[in-house]
Amino acid sequence: MSGTPFLTAVARIITRHKLYNIRLHTSSYTAMALTQVSSNKCFDGFQKVFEHDSTELKCKMRFGIYLPPKAEGGKCPVLYWLSGLTCTEQNFITKAGSQQEAAEHGIIIVCPDTSPRGCNIEGEDESWDFGTGAGFYVNATEDQWKVNYRMYSYITEELPHLISSNFPADSERMSISGHSMGGHGALICALKNPGKYKSVSAFAPICNPMQCPWGQKAFNGYLGSDKSKWESYDATVLVSAYSGPQLDILIDQGRDDQFLAAGQLLPDNFIAACTEKKIPVVFRLQQGYDHSYYFVCSFISNHIKHHAKYLNA
Amino acid sequence: MSNEDVEAIPPSSSPAMLDETTKEYLFSTDDGILSKASAEAQVPTAHLDIGPEGLSFYNMDLYESRERLDIFTEELSSSRTEEEQFTAMEDSNESRPRTEEEEYDLYTAEVSEMARQYGIWDDKEDMEMGFQTQEPFVMVTQKQEPAIQGIKTWGEEPVKGEPKEGGAGEKRDSIHKTPAVDEGGSMEHHKPCYPSEGDEPQSHEQYVGQRQYSEEAFEEEEWEEEGSQPMKASRGDTQIGEFVGFSAKTQEDLTMDMDNPEDGFRASEHTHDLEEGQPGAQAGGEDEVPDVFCLECKIAIRAFDKVFGSHKDHQVTKLSIAAEDTKVEIHKTMCKLEEQIAQMENFASHLEEIFITVEENFGRQEQNLEQHYNEVIQTLTQRYEEKTLGLEDEKKQKLEKLYSQLVNCGKTLDISKDLIEAAQEICRNEDKLAFLQVAVPTVERIEEYTASDPDLKLSASLEFENDAIDFSDVRQMMDSINIVPAPSAPVINPQTPNSSTSTSVRVCWSLFSDDTVEYYELYYKPVLEGTTADENEEQDASMVEVKETYCTVLNLVPNTQYEFWVTALNTTGISPASERAVYMTVPSPPVIKKKLCRSCPNAALIRWESGNTNPVDSYTVELCEISRERSETAVTESIVGIPTYESIIQLLSGRSYLIYVRAVNIGGPSERSDPVVIYTTGTFFRLNEDTAHPSLAISEDGFTMFYGDEYTELNDITFSDNTFSRCVAIMGELIPIRGKHYWEVEVEEHTEYRLGVAYEDTQRNGYLGANNTSWCMRHVMTPSRHKYEFLHNGSTPDIRITMHPKRIGVSLDYETGKLAFFNTDLSQHIYTYKCHFLHYVHPCFALEKPGALTVHNGIEAPEYITFS
Repeated sequence: MSGTPFLTAVARIITRHKLYNIRLHTSSYTAMALTQVSSNKCFDGFQKVFEHDSTELKCKMRFGIYLPPKAEGGKCPVLYWLSGLTCTEQNFITKAGSQQEAAEHGIIIVCPDTSPRGCNIEGEDESWDFGTGAGFYVNATEDQWKVNYRMYSYITEELPHLISSNFPADSERMSISGHSMGGHGALICALKNPGKYKSVSAFAPICNPMQCPWGQKAFNGYLGSDKSKWESYDATVLVSAYSGPQLDILIDQGRDDQFLAAGQLLPDNFIAACTEKKIPVVFRLQQGYDHSYYFVCSFISNHIKHHAKYLNA
Repeated sequence: MSNEDVEAIPPSSSPAMLDETTKEYLFSTDDGILSKASAEAQVPTAHLDIGPEGLSFYNMDLYESRERLDIFTEELSSSRTEEEQFTAMEDSNESRPRTEEEEYDLYTAEVSEMARQYGIWDDKEDMEMGFQTQEPFVMVTQKQEPAIQGIKTWGEEPVKGEPKEGGAGEKRDSIHKTPAVDEGGSMEHHKPCYPSEGDEPQSHEQYVGQRQYSEEAFEEEEWEEEGSQPMKASRGDTQIGEFVGFSAKTQEDLTMDMDNPEDGFRASEHTHDLEEGQPGAQAGGEDEVPDVFCLECKIAIRAFDKVFGSHKDHQVTKLSIAAEDTKVEIHKTMCKLEEQIAQMENFASHLEEIFITVEENFGRQEQNLEQHYNEVIQTLTQRYEEKTLGLEDEKKQKLEKLYSQLVNCGKTLDISKDLIEAAQEICRNEDKLAFLQVAVPTVERIEEYTASDPDLKLSASLEFENDAIDFSDVRQMMDSINIVPAPSAPVINPQTPNSSTSTSVRVCWSLFSDDTVEYYELYYKPVLEGTTADENEEQDASMVEVKETYCTVLNLVPNTQYEFWVTALNTTGISPASERAVYMTVPSPPVIKKKLCRSCPNAALIRWESGNTNPVDSYTVELCEISRERSETAVTESIVGIPTYESIIQLLSGRSYLIYVRAVNIGGPSERSDPVVIYTTGTFFRLNEDTAHPSLAISEDGFTMFYGDEYTELNDITFSDNTFSRCVAIMGELIPIRGKHYWEVEVEEHTEYRLGVAYEDTQRNGYLGANNTSWCMRHVMTPSRHKYEFLHNGSTPDIRITMHPKRIGVSLDYETGKLAFFNTDLSQHIYTYKCHFLHYVHPCFALEKPGALTVHNGIEAPEYITFS
């Protein structure tokens, strides 16, 4: 199979289309496929967790979803939050404190897991920055990972369909944000799909994964050693090729972030690229903040407002 | 009718004949006449088949006429003489009846014309009644004629004379008895009655009758046979005789109708109409009652006529509807009449009032006159008494004096005489010695006596002491009787609101109602402050003559008090001056200082100058909202009683207003100032050039600042306390409203600037953002990049922007304590300060390097600023 990547790709496309057809025509299937794991009332809305069988990832996946009170009366825009390395759907919903602002602006926040789980792939649990909890929001091409590790498609295709067919979500109004590796994911999703997301923001994103150890390790593992493939998942590279509706990118970065110092995040590269390409970015280097969710929760409301500005425009 | 004619009529001829002759008395019919008349009548009526019917008709007719008699006895009797004369005239002049007949025909035509006009039979009755009361004379004529025609036939017969005469005589007697005998028999009453009614026309009736007799003998006979006919006709139908002449059927109808006099009348009228309008239709349709109404001819017709008759093409309507319509019309007319009545009543009551007033006035005048004359007489009497008393005294005095003088004279005479006698006696003494002895002393005595001249002057003057009698006061009194008294002082009114402008005042006063005033003299002069009352007195007052009790005095000085007083004048004299009243001209309109006006979406700060040298009481601000549809708008709101030269006015956002200011003093408000236009779409402020760093140049419109390249010697520059001395900055003047404000600043990509807000008292010698009284976004160029700082208290967050804003939106929200900056081209939120502004802040702008910066004002805040 590795010898005929083209055929594989074609086959995959066909399969996907079939799946789509099935999904489109049997919505009850997907509805049945959703299993509510938890539901907690929060700021007059509900913070819920569902589990479902992912067709992209071939495994059971969980996601958190916050349904604001406004969702009871009509469709609401959706903000996808991509978490960072080692995180599950739980980190953001328990630590970021996004619900209040989301309730206020009537935004559904969908928070998927960071990688397929329990796929029994050799080495998936060997390190915290690769495999389980480190999907890097790419569609893996390496044989070992390419069946399950299709987080990019999962995030940009399967999940939005799942959400819009099961929840009062307005599929026309989507935004995306994330933290660290999720910030990288948010940026590439937005840059690779002009117009799909109304806005994008990121907390301490891995801005230039090709140039940082985390990114190199992951891309090498999932995509192989061909760096040209990497480029399609590198935000800084993608910026220079971006052509589409005006973006307004908000990035918050803790100045005392150890990974900033370690050169894992490289926001300057991204800013430079954006400056050159005249892509509007407001980059705020927040004095004294580190990489933790303490930092995230300090500015999450700014980010939700930022998205609300475009989602509710 | 001559007596001979009367005599010619045989006594038994007919009651009608009798009546003719005795017409004068018939009004007062009594038994005697009646019995006679009836007795006589029976004979001639015997050959009239329809006699009884005729009688029954008479009955009704006479019943009416009797009533009338009772009522109009006097009137009729008085007119009787006239009628007699008339008759006599007719007799003498044969042509007379002819003309009368013509008149009669005219009258008939008139009646029918009216009938046509009114169209409604009900009206007919009214008409008839009107005739009875208003023109009884004519009516009688009309009614009588046909009957008389009938009579005439007998009249022609050569049997005449005596009985008639006798009858007449009897009747004459009976006149006097009349009232008592009335009960006798109604029928008898009537017979005499009806000729009595007709006495005037009688003569010409006769003539007609003759004519008929001669020309239409046959018809005449028919006529006679249907004796009832004339009776009936007498009831009112003028033309009935003719009908009778050629249509027996008609008569039958009429006879039937007689039960109801009105109907009869109507029927005859109807027939008449038919006759005139459509003689053809008449014959066949005699029985049919009109059932429709022709709108064009205004008459009732039969439906048949509508289809085939001359009304074929006419519009018709149901009788009931026509009647209804006409009733409505009548009602309208009645309403009109009622209105007129009401008007007349009003007028009458008005007249009454006037009457009373005039009466009162004259009464008062009389009283006045009487009083004055009494006064004069009293004065004269008094004067007379005084004078006579004086004269008496004087007389007494003078007489006494004269008397005493007389007495004195007598005494002197006596003495003289004594002396003479003594001298003579001495002279007679022949004894020389004795003579001489006696003579010497005597001569001495005489000499002594004659030495003193006798006083021959009158002791009292013959002149009257006070003969000049002063009548001047009396004359004045006399004069004052006829001419009005001089008016009393008018009462000047205090100033009323809105009675003055900046250069004029309208002064009003009133007079006492009794006064007659030819004109007034209104005096005025300004009340100058800081001068004493005496100094004030010295000023010359201006004066105007006015006929009215008000005057608008022009050409005054604005916002100034004037003293006014007024005197009233007439031919007699001038009244005392009124009290002095102070009027004040309103101030000149203020001048709005447009450059100092500011606004924000929910308020405006308006500043103005008084426009007056003297202080005014207060100011009024007026708002006019300018709507899109109407350019002219009324004042929507006024704020009054503003003591200062500025005011903050709450407004609605997103509107346009014209704002005016008026100055107000006790005289009222001034004219409006020129308006200032306020748009509440956004915040509007101007740069306060007093704060500008000397190196900063401000454009003419006041919104663009330049920092020139040329280096200015700092030493040459004089700094005021308010001027930024270190930072090349300027401060704007934001409206002090703790709301939301938004403005934008246009910059070049490489302009190095600071812009933000600062407290008004922020350090002038520091840099903006370097202290805790200012907040500002700073843009500087480093060798490597554009650097954006958001300074407060000297520190800034580290923020990088990939797109360099050309136009920066600044949003200030006091309530949430946020100061936010935006790249308006991208709707990009750049940074938000969060702080609590303790005081009002003002926009501030600084240029770090030579360049320019433009402030854009009055812009509606974009919605996205809420997401910051």
